[in-house]
Amino acid sequence: MATYSGRKTKNTVMMTLCAVAAAFGLMWLALILFDLIYEGISGVNWAVFSEMTPPPGDEGGLLNPIVGSLIMTAIAVAVGTPIGILAGTYMAEYGRHDKMTNVIRFINDILLSAPSIIVGLFIYELMVRTMGHFSAIAGAMALAIIVLPVIVRTTEDMLLLVPDALREAGTAVGAPRWIVIRSVAYKAASAGMITGVLLAIARISGETAPLLFTALNNQFWSTDLNAPMASLPVTIFQFALSPYDSWQSLAWAGALIITVAVLTLSIVARVVTAQKEDR
Amino acid sequence: MNFQSVSEPVARQDATGRPAPRISGQPKIELKDVSFFYGKSQAIKDIRMTLPERAVTAFIGPSGCGKSTLLRMFNRIYEIYPNQRAEGEILLDGENILQKSQDLNLLRARVGMVFQKPTPFPMSIYENIAFGIRLYEKLGRTEMDERVEKALRRAALWEEVKDKLSTSGLGLSGGQQQRLCIARTVAVRPEVILLDEPCSALDPISTAKIEELIDELKEEYTIAIVTHNMQQAARVSDLTAFMYLGELIEFDETNKIFTSPNNPKTEEYITGRFG
Amino acid sequence: MATEHIVTSYEDELKYIVRRISEMGGQAERMVEQAVAALMRSDWAMAQSVVADDLLLDAAQREIDERAIKTIARRQPMAIDLREIVGAIRISNDLERIGDLAKNIAKRVIAVHEHSQPMQLVRGIEHLSDLALEQLKEVLDAYATRDHRRALAVREGDDGIDAMYTSIFRELLTYMMEDPRNITACTHLLFSAKNIERIGDHATNIAETIYYIKTGQQMESERPKDDRTSSLAQTDMTMPSAPGGTGA
Repeated sequence: MATYSGRKTKNTVMMTLCAVAAAFGLMWLALILFDLIYEGISGVNWAVFSEMTPPPGDEGGLLNPIVGSLIMTAIAVAVGTPIGILAGTYMAEYGRHDKMTNVIRFINDILLSAPSIIVGLFIYELMVRTMGHFSAIAGAMALAIIVLPVIVRTTEDMLLLVPDALREAGTAVGAPRWIVIRSVAYKAASAGMITGVLLAIARISGETAPLLFTALNNQFWSTDLNAPMASLPVTIFQFALSPYDSWQSLAWAGALIITVAVLTLSIVARVVTAQKEDR
Repeated sequence: MNFQSVSEPVARQDATGRPAPRISGQPKIELKDVSFFYGKSQAIKDIRMTLPERAVTAFIGPSGCGKSTLLRMFNRIYEIYPNQRAEGEILLDGENILQKSQDLNLLRARVGMVFQKPTPFPMSIYENIAFGIRLYEKLGRTEMDERVEKALRRAALWEEVKDKLSTSGLGLSGGQQQRLCIARTVAVRPEVILLDEPCSALDPISTAKIEELIDELKEEYTIAIVTHNMQQAARVSDLTAFMYLGELIEFDETNKIFTSPNNPKTEEYITGRFG
Repeated sequence: MATEHIVTSYEDELKYIVRRISEMGGQAERMVEQAVAALMRSDWAMAQSVVADDLLLDAAQREIDERAIKTIARRQPMAIDLREIVGAIRISNDLERIGDLAKNIAKRVIAVHEHSQPMQLVRGIEHLSDLALEQLKEVLDAYATRDHRRALAVREGDDGIDAMYTSIFRELLTYMMEDPRNITACTHLLFSAKNIERIGDHATNIAETIYYIKTGQQMESERPKDDRTSSLAQTDMTMPSAPGGTGA
């Protein structure tokens, strides 16, 4: 048995170590954010949101990559969410005790942690090669594949968190299974599921790799899903590597915009969850 | 078995051959050699008993004796889990509810259930009640309002919630939530109400309110209650069944069970000598 | 009881109450013995000690009552325990009454010993008290062993006391009619006899309680109570009201 003062010392040492580690990790985050704001804020102006990407050396904006990112993200979420929710629902509700569910969960976890460039290559083989050209829809599909496992996972996790007692209660008033799921389980899990979708959006809005081989990029305004489309991450990637000051400045601005957007989404997700839980 | 009704109390034998309680009134639920299995392990062993109509039957026994399992057979709620299996016959008004052709949703509408922890749905107080009604009836707005009010009144909750029907049911206190669950059950107009330790998470005052409610409800419904609280069983029930290791040890009038049970095992349990 | 309660303190409470009842029983028995002996021997000092002992018995009865009520409030006893406790309350009450009756006899010693006593009558009362004491002993043993059959036998035995009392009643009446100077002494003796007969009744009550504790069943229809002198008074003797029957 250690003495009281001995235990106190140990406690202090341990606490200090933890605090230092936390501060070290947070420091990099803060530095990145600070650097981003420092470099990016000067580039952010109205033109960024209203003008197309400029030719090398010229002034311009990021309108087409912003819109491109929005379009592809929207499609990816529109495709990925319902499939993800249904799959998650199967795993948590209908197939909870099946072997199949374990297999799906295992594969889903691999997909969740798979490098996104592999997803890009996969779609490249599947869509770009067969279609013969890069396209926005291929980019959206690549993003959808990234969205899918996130939503499957959060949906399953959130539904598993819904107490069985609630399902039993729904069943006990005479409600069929699907009504119990729809009206009771989904309602109870809604905060978490919405958060899952928001986090998935945050995840894909920064993805570059899967878009490089699929949607490619587009210097010009285009909303044609069958043609290459600009996106923020790819544009940042391209502009940041260029030797031109105006492009580099736009790349910083774009990076800041993405960061702010993702941050906003995360905050919204937190608020939604908190509000739901408050009730 | 044949049953005469009302006036002449019917004497029966329980599984062990001892005389079963003298029950006046129609039998509502009859169990014939009922067994239950979780996978391979048998949780209920050949139980025969009869629950009379419009009476409160309490099930007591140590944890794991199968009393909750037995209750969960009456509305076949166990069906939502795999690997659980029932044997024998449970007759509800003479019809075997364990047969395959039984419409489970209809059965559960006839046999309502209230659980250990209050389980209000994550929706408004009003919707909590309306949810079950909507499943089987198409009602107009005013009719629905009436039904909701009636159910809440029945559960002695109306006065407390009438001004906040649109707020979430989760915002109520534990006792209120449990009464909301009872209201929700009653709203569907069941014939039997199963209560699975309905007061175990409640304070004594809320418990008293629920017990008062049970007293009132038994005029209309057949009630089966599982409770860990022997005093509660003694307070609210007309008949008490003592179960041990999946078997029905003794089933008799509550007055008899708690003053002079026949079986020494029952006596030891209710006097706190084992369990 | 075969097994003990899970809660030891509960077990102890019940055991304590049962032990106190036994102690009370012993004391009540001794008081009756001494009271009757005092009556026989006109022993004024012994009579005084019986009167004093009654206070102790009263205190014991109050203590058992209080303990029993506390146990009911705190433990909510069920089944056998409930019957034990309710039984303890009833039995302690009966024993306390027996003590009162013994005291009453002892008080009469003072009055009686100034008068000459008809010896054969005193013998009768001694015999009556032997019967009652035997009953009391039996019933206390039955309580200690929880033997409801013995308790049942005690109840049957009460008839003997009643018969004996009735005959003493007749004799005393005869004696009083023979010589009015005997009336004071005889009345005291009559009351004493009546008290002893009542002690038998309380023993019977205790027997019934034991039967209830053991079986959970009340004994069937109350047996015809106490003496038959009330009917005797109306038929045989033409007296305005009988001293027995409702008295004492």
